[in-house]
Amino acid sequence: MSAALQNLVNQPYKHGFVTNIESDVAPKGLNEDIIRLISSKKNEPEWLLEFRLNAYQKWLTMSEPDWQNVHYPKIDFQAISYYSAPKPKKKLASMDEVDPELLRTFEKLGVPMHERAALAGVAVDVIFDSVSVTTTYKEKLAEVGIIFCSISEAVHEHPELVKKYLGSVIPVGDNFFAALNSAVFTDGSFCFIPKGVKCPMDLSTYFRINTEGSGQFERTLVIAEEGATVSYLEGCTAPQFDTNQLHAAVVELIALDNADIKYSTVQNWYAGDENGVGGIFNFVTKRGLAKGVNSRISWTQVETGSAITWKYPSCILRGDNSVGEFYSVAVTNHHQQADTGTKMIHLGKNTRSTIVSKGISAGKSNSSYRGLVRVAPTADGARNYSQCDSMLIGDQCGAHTFPYIQVRNNSAQVEHEASTSKIGEDQLFYFAQRGIDAEEAVSMIINGFCKDVFQQLPMEFAVEATKLLSFKLEGSVG
Amino acid sequence: MNTVASHDYLTSLLQSLPKKPTDSVSWLKQLRAEAIDQIGKQKFPSLRDEEWRFTDISPLTKLPYRPSLTVSDLQLTDIDHLFLEEPSNRLVFVNGHYAPQLSNIIDANLIIGNLPVLMADHSSSIQMHLGQYAQYQDNFFTTQNTAFLQDGAFISIARNTSVPSPIHLLNIATQPEVTNYMRCLLVADTGSDVTLIEDYVSLQESAYITNAVTEISLAPNAQARHYRVQRENKNAFHLANCTVALAHASRYQSVNVALGAQISRLNLDVRLNDEAAECCIDGLTLITDNQLSDTHTCIDHLKPNGNSQQQHKCIIDGSAHAVFNGKIMVRPQAQQTNSSQSSRNLLLSSQAHIDTKPQLEIFADDVKCAHGATVGQLDSEELFYLQSRGLSMNEARNLLTYAFGAEIINRISVSSLRQRLEQAVLNQTQQIQDR
Repeated sequence: MSAALQNLVNQPYKHGFVTNIESDVAPKGLNEDIIRLISSKKNEPEWLLEFRLNAYQKWLTMSEPDWQNVHYPKIDFQAISYYSAPKPKKKLASMDEVDPELLRTFEKLGVPMHERAALAGVAVDVIFDSVSVTTTYKEKLAEVGIIFCSISEAVHEHPELVKKYLGSVIPVGDNFFAALNSAVFTDGSFCFIPKGVKCPMDLSTYFRINTEGSGQFERTLVIAEEGATVSYLEGCTAPQFDTNQLHAAVVELIALDNADIKYSTVQNWYAGDENGVGGIFNFVTKRGLAKGVNSRISWTQVETGSAITWKYPSCILRGDNSVGEFYSVAVTNHHQQADTGTKMIHLGKNTRSTIVSKGISAGKSNSSYRGLVRVAPTADGARNYSQCDSMLIGDQCGAHTFPYIQVRNNSAQVEHEASTSKIGEDQLFYFAQRGIDAEEAVSMIINGFCKDVFQQLPMEFAVEATKLLSFKLEGSVG
Repeated sequence: MNTVASHDYLTSLLQSLPKKPTDSVSWLKQLRAEAIDQIGKQKFPSLRDEEWRFTDISPLTKLPYRPSLTVSDLQLTDIDHLFLEEPSNRLVFVNGHYAPQLSNIIDANLIIGNLPVLMADHSSSIQMHLGQYAQYQDNFFTTQNTAFLQDGAFISIARNTSVPSPIHLLNIATQPEVTNYMRCLLVADTGSDVTLIEDYVSLQESAYITNAVTEISLAPNAQARHYRVQRENKNAFHLANCTVALAHASRYQSVNVALGAQISRLNLDVRLNDEAAECCIDGLTLITDNQLSDTHTCIDHLKPNGNSQQQHKCIIDGSAHAVFNGKIMVRPQAQQTNSSQSSRNLLLSSQAHIDTKPQLEIFADDVKCAHGATVGQLDSEELFYLQSRGLSMNEARNLLTYAFGAEIINRISVSSLRQRLEQAVLNQTQQIQDR
């Protein structure tokens, strides 16, 4: 293929800059004292400290998993600083009081907060490093009884809810990185939709890693009570750094009877340069519990960044007739590695799940789909459909599929299909014939390939994702 | 997995080992010595090993591990019901030991027979191939097999020769509580054509172990059809490794049928070592009661223009458990590879279960690869259609289950074997409905 396409991908990372804000950084290393320090800095109640210490004890007994299809240098967990917060300033009453440096950062990122909030009607709970700086639209949401705030705030204002649900979907000892997160998480988002409420707007959070050398451990908890509906958006960008940064987040979703949670992610952490130097390690545990009857949990993700992406947003379909969905696009280029997929655990009767996964590998990257569909003996009439397609661009990348299918009930119907393809000369020729150059042709083909997933994204994210993919793959087709 | 048990198992295994290989041929002595050495270093596979995640073979450790005795008083009349109806070249092994009085070779110019016997005249050819494909470094049971290597089938097909009648390798187990080591080496020279049937049967109902290793090497343009039928008794343990190496434009077709054994495991590795090689691998697992049947296949495309097709079907009844793991590798050089794989599974009872994992690992961009897996029960619309044509519910179910399995069996070109297997599927499906 043409050299023009070769040049398409190798664009420098657009969001690479460091914001100079004084940070309050904890000494490097992890021990009980550090955990107590985090807890006391955040002025936390005793039960949460116990939760953290319990997780830390579990973490000590666990070893780092090595079964995944990704390779990275060993992480020295004692060389990471587990707490960094922007220096506390006086309480902010309006947007004007926000640090102008911070506002400039968001402008560079293309997130004009006030404008965005006003025009798009999105409440943005901005996470800057680990502490929530400002929250918009909170009052409007409060009118209908929705709680949308940082998790530290929720710990103080709604301890009964946090205590009840925190760690209920992902127990502290679930896996190595979830245990680490449970021990040291600094902040994150909390969202509670009460009974029968349909959230009037899409909720969104911007995550951003800022201080060099500080891992970030967010914790997100979304609870939808009986009959509630919410669409939650998460988007990430990170500045360009040379040292690897660990990002081990935990996201828990709980849907009660007839509730509906839609969780969308666009992930564009710094992926390292074209030689594979630097980049974020994105080791995330995401799980949703469809606890009630007729509940629905839907994950949509567009993974374009990070040196290593390693996550499996999962659904535990416990309620009868509950539905789990997973739509994913994972794009890797240069030396990026992605091992992502989902788990659908069917426990309730007539539970249904759909998996659509699209992987695009370019350069020297590797992407893997790893999925589990488990139908328990109790899941009469369970139904699963999985489709995972891969596209390879260039002959030095790899695409892998590891679908585990475990069926214990004979009334279940499970289907899985996978295919691989490439952008054909003939396809490009056809576009060229119609006057469309190779760059645009590739972008159109890729967007067509990912259409099934993009359709699931909220409008503004779909636009962003389409753009992201085209510039991510610029220069890779050749 | 009980570590104490596995330790005892290893101890008893090591005790039954010949202290030193006694072979006269030095390279073979060396090969066995290396394998014996390796046994001490290997760990008994447990559920903690990814390769054995779904297959618990700990019941094995409860059995004594004496290699089987040589004496066998089997007469032709005892086993003639197991023979093919077509004229065939028959090699009979009883408990892993060659039984010349029961064997019968009809193609005079074929080099075929017991390994130690043929060693005298064909040592260099055997040395070139034996133990070269079935690597034992990372395979517990292949190591054991190599360490205990004595009798075995050696088949060598000369250049541009087409063997007119199928070769029937009949492995019969008559002794309880022993381990039978089976070994087979097939070397097909350039442009040759052969049909090999590996048949595993038991003439008694108690537990024993079969440890079988088959190595097949096809030279350029050679062609082989390989049918493997495992119908051992329902207390037996069957552990098999089959490795196939394909040269330029060679073609390999295989059908694996697993009906018997309490626990059975087949590892089938096919390497497409050169361009334009082709393989077509099909399998049928038909199990019931407490049976466990595990099929692990790996098709490794190393060079361009390879072609592979695979279809594996499981019919699972009772509280049986089937495992399928089908890996397809496409290496960086293997452009223009065309590969398809499907795993289809029919669960007939509420206790039956299946773990399937069709796995693709692709490192080349100009390839066509697809795989699919389905798990389900008989289609209610198909059942309804047959009932609307006057069939009873049971008949309709029988017919559909039979048809599901027959698709695989129909790929066997030896008609008497095909008919026998069709009958076996029919019997089993009828049994299912009669309950």
